[in-house]
Amino acid sequence: MNSFTSINDKPLLDVKNLSCHFDVSKPWLNRVIEGEPQRFLTAVDQVSFSINRGETFALVGESGSGKSTIAKLIVDLIHPSSGEILFDGQSLKNTRGEAFKTLRRRIQMIFQDPFASLNPRWRVGDIIAEPIHAFGLAKSQNDVRRTVEELLDKVGLAGRDRHKYPHEFSGGQRQRIAIARALSAQPDFLVCDEPTSALDVSVQAQILNLMRDLQDEFGLTYLFISHDLSVVKHMADRIGVLYLGSMVENSPSDQLFIQPAHPYTRMLLDAIPDHEMSGRRRKQVTGEIPSPIDPPSGCTFHPRCEFADEKCKQKRPSIHEDQGSLVSCWASEEKRIPTTPKDSQ
Amino acid sequence: MTEPLLSVRDLVVEFPKRKIKLTALDKVSFDIYPGEILGMVGESGAGKSLTGAAIIGLLEPPGHVASGEIWLKDQRIDQLPYEQMRRLRGKRIAMIFQDPLTSLNPILTIADQLIETIQTHLPLNDKDARARAVQLLDEVGIPAASKRIDDYPHQFSGGMRQRVVIALALAGEPELIIADEPTTALDVSVQAQIIDVLKRMCHEHKTAVMLVTHDMGVIAEACDRVAVMYAGRVAEIGEVRQIVKRPQHPYTQGLMGSIPSIVERVERLTQIPGSMPRLDAIPSGCAFNPRCTQKIARCTQDRPELITTDQGQVSCWLYDGETP
Repeated sequence: MNSFTSINDKPLLDVKNLSCHFDVSKPWLNRVIEGEPQRFLTAVDQVSFSINRGETFALVGESGSGKSTIAKLIVDLIHPSSGEILFDGQSLKNTRGEAFKTLRRRIQMIFQDPFASLNPRWRVGDIIAEPIHAFGLAKSQNDVRRTVEELLDKVGLAGRDRHKYPHEFSGGQRQRIAIARALSAQPDFLVCDEPTSALDVSVQAQILNLMRDLQDEFGLTYLFISHDLSVVKHMADRIGVLYLGSMVENSPSDQLFIQPAHPYTRMLLDAIPDHEMSGRRRKQVTGEIPSPIDPPSGCTFHPRCEFADEKCKQKRPSIHEDQGSLVSCWASEEKRIPTTPKDSQ
Repeated sequence: MTEPLLSVRDLVVEFPKRKIKLTALDKVSFDIYPGEILGMVGESGAGKSLTGAAIIGLLEPPGHVASGEIWLKDQRIDQLPYEQMRRLRGKRIAMIFQDPLTSLNPILTIADQLIETIQTHLPLNDKDARARAVQLLDEVGIPAASKRIDDYPHQFSGGMRQRVVIALALAGEPELIIADEPTTALDVSVQAQIIDVLKRMCHEHKTAVMLVTHDMGVIAEACDRVAVMYAGRVAEIGEVRQIVKRPQHPYTQGLMGSIPSIVERVERLTQIPGSMPRLDAIPSGCAFNPRCTQKIARCTQDRPELITTDQGQVSCWLYDGETP
């Protein structure tokens, strides 16, 4: 899609066996008195993926599947329990000082709720200028002003809007401001955590189009997090499907929708409402996502899976490759799943 | 054709401010027939939820019905005294809200809440009311209903809570349920289950539903007819298939085009330029005219009424006279 991709075939972001546990035990004294062990919530469980330059990689999954935790791990807002994140070949964990600052500048984030992510007491111009000051990207006040006005113009707002406060803008406009702020640090990589789920569909279309245009213009790489599969299909080159903190499938976008490999991906696809009334039957989804504090044994999806057998209940599936997709499922590996699920109904 | 269950005629809802009056709903008219699911779509601020609140008499002051009529069968309900309206609420018209956690009382068990609602509306003793409550929970698909009825709301998941709320709405055996974004707070997979329950319950109990949502997917799945709202006015009403496949109003066309498709991939989404006007700056003539790509001279001067075409009703001058 991008004309200047893959000059460098090394991935821009490489995530290896990333795990994140949260301690959810009771306070120490209660634990001792009641004789309870420590309890951990596994939010992210050995997730690996890589994102190439200029690509859009999407993470999908239900609430509680660990999408946002991965986003926070990548921008270093929380630290992983184990595993490694390599950005442009450098590890976030081992980098210090000036090099770390540069890494942080190159990775920026857009948040879900534009009503909470902009400081209501700051003028829009100051909000956008903060990264410029923080990273020392402009020489004079005049430079800063010019950059801010250019950025506002790029995201479809007027340069004079820099004097206004966030409350004077609608949700879609605020998201544009948030995008301008992310761009002001001159990043290569944007982590977008549900950037349009707080917006109406017509506004969502405007923001998605804007994000596409900016990607082409600046050669940006996106990690796009969403629960809306139709948005993901529109935006992503590759899609990772998360279930209870583990990545169950990682496929090229087109293939995922034509031939989903993991039973959970099939279930998600079947649950998409048919807003075009194309006659596609929506299948009833059974059960709900279990608690991540006490996940099921073996493959965590087995209680809801129609293809599960004894092996799935006991042994955690390994990742295998199947026509460009990385799938973690015993049934798929052993070819126990009928190949054309869409016609079977 | 059967008599409509609910008839809204030229409903105007106003919010007086210090100097000006904001007209939040401007001459909204539509009918709901018995056993039918009518969808209400539109962007935030289009007046979807407000229409629901006006019908059930829960407008937040200073908002009030300034003119127009709401008829429930042959009873006019927009000017009922408070006490009579209170008795009607929950009994003849019930409501389901968006967030199931805030519409349930966290310190009462599900049993307490259901039995209270049942006994308010139906003459049943404690034992029968409890049996009825269990039966309702069973119907909305809560497993082991007789055991779980004594649980508190926090012990249920989001989807299960919304099922409880549906059971509560059905407790008084209402003729009409107003469901205000019932699936917005839920995941897609759970959303499908809830829509299914809602559809099944309405079919079994012959209850009409006004389904307020901004999600076209939900509309396409659940509804028989759809009303599209824009800036406090009805832009278009029609059969759901017509609205989805062949929208007439330019706004509906833009709205449908802006939803990313799951079937085919397009390079760019259709986008409607600009944004919905604020209530104090609604343009003269058709409220959509500044954003409309098919605007004609008349659109900026006269406000279009709902025009009946062979596909439904649409308030757009393009359909006046001959159907293009």
